Amino acid sequence: MRRRLPGFLLAAPAWAWLTIFFIAPVAMVVWFSFGYKPSIFATQATDKLSFDRYAEVLTPTFFATFQNTLWVGVVGTVLCFLIGLPVAYWMAVKAPPSKRGLLVALVMVPFWTNFLVRTIGWQVILAPEGVLSTMLQGVGFEPLAILNTRGAVLIGVVYNYLPLMILPLFVAFDRVNGPLREASKDLGAGKLTTFFRITLPLAQPGIVAGVLLVFIPLMGDYITATVLGGAKGNMVGQLVASQFQTAQNWALGSAMAVVLIFVILLTAAAGAILVWLVSWPFRARNRLVIGTAPAAASVPVREEVAA
Amino acid sequence: MTQASTIEAESGTTPAPGNSRGEAPGTVVIDAVTKRYGDATAVDGLSLTIKAGEFISLLGPSGCGKTTTLRMIAGFEQPDAGDIRVSGRSLLGVPPYRRDVNTVFQAYALFPHMSVAENVAYGLQQKRTPKSEIRERVIDALDLAQMRGFADRKPTQLSGGQQQRVALARALVNRPSVLLLDEPLGALDRQLREEMQLELKLLQSRLGITFVFVTHDQGEALSMSDRIAIMRNGGIEQLADADTVYARPASAYVAAFVGQQNFFRGRAAEGGGAVDSTHALVRGATPASPALREGEAGLAAVRPEFVRIEAAAGDAASDAVNTARGTLLGVSHLGETMQYLVRLGDDQSLIVRRPTPEAPQVSVGDAVVCSWRPESVLLFPADDAASDGGFVAPPTA
Repeated sequence: MRRRLPGFLLAAPAWAWLTIFFIAPVAMVVWFSFGYKPSIFATQATDKLSFDRYAEVLTPTFFATFQNTLWVGVVGTVLCFLIGLPVAYWMAVKAPPSKRGLLVALVMVPFWTNFLVRTIGWQVILAPEGVLSTMLQGVGFEPLAILNTRGAVLIGVVYNYLPLMILPLFVAFDRVNGPLREASKDLGAGKLTTFFRITLPLAQPGIVAGVLLVFIPLMGDYITATVLGGAKGNMVGQLVASQFQTAQNWALGSAMAVVLIFVILLTAAAGAILVWLVSWPFRARNRLVIGTAPAAASVPVREEVAA
Repeated sequence: MTQASTIEAESGTTPAPGNSRGEAPGTVVIDAVTKRYGDATAVDGLSLTIKAGEFISLLGPSGCGKTTTLRMIAGFEQPDAGDIRVSGRSLLGVPPYRRDVNTVFQAYALFPHMSVAENVAYGLQQKRTPKSEIRERVIDALDLAQMRGFADRKPTQLSGGQQQRVALARALVNRPSVLLLDEPLGALDRQLREEMQLELKLLQSRLGITFVFVTHDQGEALSMSDRIAIMRNGGIEQLADADTVYARPASAYVAAFVGQQNFFRGRAAEGGGAVDSTHALVRGATPASPALREGEAGLAAVRPEFVRIEAAAGDAASDAVNTARGTLLGVSHLGETMQYLVRLGDDQSLIVRRPTPEAPQVSVGDAVVCSWRPESVLLFPADDAASDGGFVAPPTA
């Protein structure tokens, strides 16, 4: 006779891992952020707690960097979404089913190379004396002046994060099966209406996953921005890293990290509210609530036992 | 049934723009249509005229082209050759959303993120119907399908039979001139299926809409259809009403597919009027169609309900025509009938069905004699594909 183990034990390894390596460090970071840097040789102390580090973070210099990070994060995510959406839709709906596995593998190809190497590769391409620039000059263009601008940062961001957007979107579109789209067309809806009223709403979980999967790591990423953006690529992640590694001020670094977490949460919430507000008129237009039937007019409803 | 009246009244007078051929609204004409997928031909030069207001079934095993035909009428597939007309208007190149037909899908395909009422309203919203009218017509359609009380639920909260009704309401609310049904009852349990068959038939005759019903279930086709098109390899093997298809199948394939048959394989004898098989000389009252030549391989078919069974009297070997001797292998009670499985030899068994009150006194292991009248015998040229489905496999035990 075997004893049945409670089901939550299946998740126990994951819980243990997350508790030790994720929750505990985050808790420590939050704890450190209320402390201070006592001397040149110490990284942090928490014998006196205060909000002073947060006051330091919210000075104009840091604020500009936060602004830049948020700009790169939001614009990069929006670009990835706008570029990834048609690709994922094509892969899941239009491409022949036999080719889909291959297409997914091709989307993954960039991951076979190191992240830093890939990004530096773009530096080589975009440099004023680089390949692309030389070619363009050959046909009479000015030398390319895109490296060390936000444009270059966005190119790198889209390149590095696009697969993370495409894959969840692909899975989501793939799940909205053919008969639902056919039913929509059968009922008189054209291709656009079918996309906006059937495919897109049903792909919502995948869209949320893709957006978060790109936006969150992007907010913490500073390699792409530093390599391609130079001085224009100041990101909060870079500041946090330099506080921990160079300045050895763990308290200030922690406070920055905590502020970053809040900015990410607030931005995600603001984005969700915005989408909800924008789509509200459309949802309201198509809503139809019948309510309970007036007893006299209705045919008796037959209750069936679920099969 | 006041609710039904709005749908009824207008479905009969649907205007048919571009009707130059004198085909009534609701008429479906499939004209020499061919559809290929790579090397495979799914539909092969099919021609079929479905009358307005008719309930027609496309019946056949999977791969016979029935679903492809339906999908071409709906517009999800385009024919490679030929023409499809509904209400006299050619539908070649017309996308599904501009066709005056609606489909009830096999797995219902209800939109899971919308309520029942919103599902039903979807088609009307596409036609920019005023909101108040949408509400009225959705309620009418839900009443018609007896689903009014479930209007604000999500499809996932409904049973299979209820989802089926919603799918029906969602299609009918658009007042199409043709309703296409793709094995809509396949997912229901037997009792519910039989109930829905009756309801569908009643609904169809009340609304007067042309129903094109695709099924592999011969019982469904027989019970509902005005006419049945039995399909094979992308073409129509026989097109007739249920009585004709059952009593006078055009081929061994149809005979095997509709109802149950005992097949005897052998050589044509008596100038094509009989088949001489190992276990019996089977003589028919009417000659085979298409005709059988003497000595040619032929098939004789006898339905289980036409066979009589009795205990063998003594051991006098009777070589009478339309008689077979064997051993009773099993008896099963089917309710109103009793079914007997008789083993004639290593390669052939015979199924006999008698009304329960007339059940003969025989028990398992007895030597029995089975006999039938020549009027109940159907003769066909040999057809391997057909008899595979009809032959009773010899039991191994």
